[in-house]
Amino acid sequence: MEPRGLLALVLHTHLPFVRHPEHPSFLEERWLFEAITETYLPLLARFHRLADERVPFRVTMSFTPPLLAMLADELLRTRYLRHLEALIELSAKEIERTRWEPPFHRLALFYHHRFTTARRLYVEAYRRDLIGAFRSLSERGVLEPIASCATHGYLPLMETQPAAVRAQIRIGVAAFEHAFGRRPTGFWLPECGYQPGHDAVLKECGIRYFLTDAHGILFGSPRPKYGVYAPAICPSGVAAFGRDMESSKSVWSAEEGYPGDFHYREFYRDIGFDLDYDYVRPYLNGDGARLHTGIKYYRITGKTDDKQPYDPDRALEQAAGHASNFLFNRGKQAEHLSSVLGRVPIIVSPYDAELFGHWWFEGPDWLEFVIRKAHADQPDVRLISPADYFERYPTNQALQPSLSSWGNGGYSDVWLTGANDWLYRHLHKMAERMTDSARAHRHPDPLRERLLNQMARELLLAQSSDWAFILKTQTHTAYAYRRIHDHLARFSALEEAVRRGRVDEGWVAGVEEKDNCFPFLDYRVYA
Amino acid sequence: MSAPAISSARKPPRPAAPSGTVLPIAAPYPAPPIPEHAAAGAPAPEEQYSLPAGYGDTRIVLMIKDPWWLYAYWEVQPQAERAARSQLTPEDIVGLQSVLRVYDVTDTAFPDQSARRWFDIPLSGLATSWYIHANAPDRSFIVEIGLLTRGGRFLLLARSNRVTTPRAGPSEVIDTAWAIDDETFWRLFGGAVGRGSSPSGWMSAPSSAHAWLPAGTAAARPAVVKGFWCRVNTDLVIHGATEPRAKVSIQGRPVLLRPDGTFTIRLAVPDGAQTITIDVTSADGATTRTITPTVTLAWSGTLEPERPAKPFRPSGKPADRPSPGGAA
Repeated sequence: MEPRGLLALVLHTHLPFVRHPEHPSFLEERWLFEAITETYLPLLARFHRLADERVPFRVTMSFTPPLLAMLADELLRTRYLRHLEALIELSAKEIERTRWEPPFHRLALFYHHRFTTARRLYVEAYRRDLIGAFRSLSERGVLEPIASCATHGYLPLMETQPAAVRAQIRIGVAAFEHAFGRRPTGFWLPECGYQPGHDAVLKECGIRYFLTDAHGILFGSPRPKYGVYAPAICPSGVAAFGRDMESSKSVWSAEEGYPGDFHYREFYRDIGFDLDYDYVRPYLNGDGARLHTGIKYYRITGKTDDKQPYDPDRALEQAAGHASNFLFNRGKQAEHLSSVLGRVPIIVSPYDAELFGHWWFEGPDWLEFVIRKAHADQPDVRLISPADYFERYPTNQALQPSLSSWGNGGYSDVWLTGANDWLYRHLHKMAERMTDSARAHRHPDPLRERLLNQMARELLLAQSSDWAFILKTQTHTAYAYRRIHDHLARFSALEEAVRRGRVDEGWVAGVEEKDNCFPFLDYRVYA
Repeated sequence: MSAPAISSARKPPRPAAPSGTVLPIAAPYPAPPIPEHAAAGAPAPEEQYSLPAGYGDTRIVLMIKDPWWLYAYWEVQPQAERAARSQLTPEDIVGLQSVLRVYDVTDTAFPDQSARRWFDIPLSGLATSWYIHANAPDRSFIVEIGLLTRGGRFLLLARSNRVTTPRAGPSEVIDTAWAIDDETFWRLFGGAVGRGSSPSGWMSAPSSAHAWLPAGTAAARPAVVKGFWCRVNTDLVIHGATEPRAKVSIQGRPVLLRPDGTFTIRLAVPDGAQTITIDVTSADGATTRTITPTVTLAWSGTLEPERPAKPFRPSGKPADRPSPGGAA
């Protein structure tokens, strides 16, 4: 039966490159470890299970090069396992400690099981190779991986440095090919930041489509006949799919969205903060500051601080109900849209992948329910990937999408504000110097070639939109500032070394060891 | 990290504040890690480097913040300013003012053709950047920095790149092959376009931009709580020592001994009397001792012990719950 609507679930998967071999353990490396345990492994396990059961579905996921580099990195793989072993040990102690408190004892067992399952998946099922596990989902036809920029550079604020924009896109595509062994058809513009003209650079790389926020399409010109419910063909011929706000809101919004349900797990009550300091101290980072361990015993409960114990079974029921509700609403939405538009609408729902599991603990369960129910419970909505749409509707409206992002305010406000605006004069200058150096050394000696490649890595790492974001939100600002400082410092020293043709070998080897992402990088992309 | 509420109103850019004066050249950051090869003597470049205030250029760069606001940063070298001043008579020098001249250059080949309109922003001498309230979506701009005499003569120091602000509402252009009437467009898509095409119309849209908001930051802790709260829990720690190869079990479950024969177990204690059975068996299995301490927990005061970890906080912290996925 012909569906009334097509639903494209898009998960954007990104973490900034954080890797500090110079420290025995490093707080910010936990971002990756937590994401693996709470998001990537739960998603992989569910998608593989669904594929094993031959449930047909399509999900789209973007993978940024820093994340791919970290997932492939041997040091971080080893450190992840060490982190997981500590969690397993802590959860085992919790089983003992909570023996007289049945609701918590049950939860301690629940977490212990989760962490040991994570270890089994990571070590045995996926052999520590999560990229391979995602690639195999792609080969099974259920996952459509798409590419993104080299280091999540926010392109609209790079506009005066076209070589830097091109390099972010080209290196992003190269990293995707390196990881997935094929060319990407889709592209995730970091923060959905679209600047008119950048579609032409995507076109050069063979990209067929990218995603924008709703107003990118709705404020496009000429006016879009189908709104965000059909792709817009940019002047370059690349298609832009706009975000559907209705479905986004039901998942994103803390107030109206599903994740705020009182039965779901409370993120902010963690034994890392709740229990006796000496007891949890071995599981904290070097500086001994309390932190989230990942063991959380309470449910949201309500607008109260008097939280009730979490009940995983009850939460699972709620996730099933929310999945039904989500599909019901999409069915109604599609029915209405198709009757007015005279075309089967595509509803594009992009989310940060880490929302599922990390922030919204039950998110992966909800997603699995959506997939199962979309297949078995209703005929109205069918899951597809944006690329699949063109087989159905090859002809689409040509228009110029508008400058936009999915950040607060819809434009560049988040990344250009009093807390971070000072960054750009440095980033622009670095990009300009990179371009000058690349053009001045088209046929360098082996030492200079090595230095120029490392210069490009330092520039790219400094351009991560994460630093500007962190400076704005005032969390981890010292770390963000230090990263910007160190990358600028290394860039300047490398540039000087290129000019002089000699360098402190020990220092440059250390830099290459620390910032070791993108081994395939060729600095000539800036020339 | 306490993921701000989604509905938070957009803060207007700081009105024409010279942000350039607060360049965090000396911003504090943690000491860099000591490089392993630091033995060589000379400090690593990372330790010597500080962000420069400028790069020796005379230039101005223009960026777009949103449909209504632009941002410009610049650098002017003293010799460039001296060269400009040298064109002036002594009378002109009096009252000379640094200005940003903002040109609306929509559909014109400025500077070869003249701009459609312009306005000046007087600058203080220290400013090196400025937020410009152009208030004109879908228009093109170029900005010049220069010196303005009392007589109205403008001496150019640097000219910016050209930018075009985004549209803040739907286009008026309709493609006849893909026509949609006004009413249908607004009925179908108006909700997603926000309530009208004003900047505040966007504020209520859920904003999902966020970087990975890491766990374990200060904002996540109940550090800043107005009023007073407390919670009291009781854990019982049983510890002891025996011969390293002896076997110890508590409540029938084996306990792992440390190499020196000491052991520790921690139990969360509920209200009332609890009897704990500790069995110690010698390494050869021949001798067994059983110890059964009884612990009674009774409470007085206002905390209700049946709820372990009950915080008393007078008012909910509204920002405590993340907008899942953060939000800007």
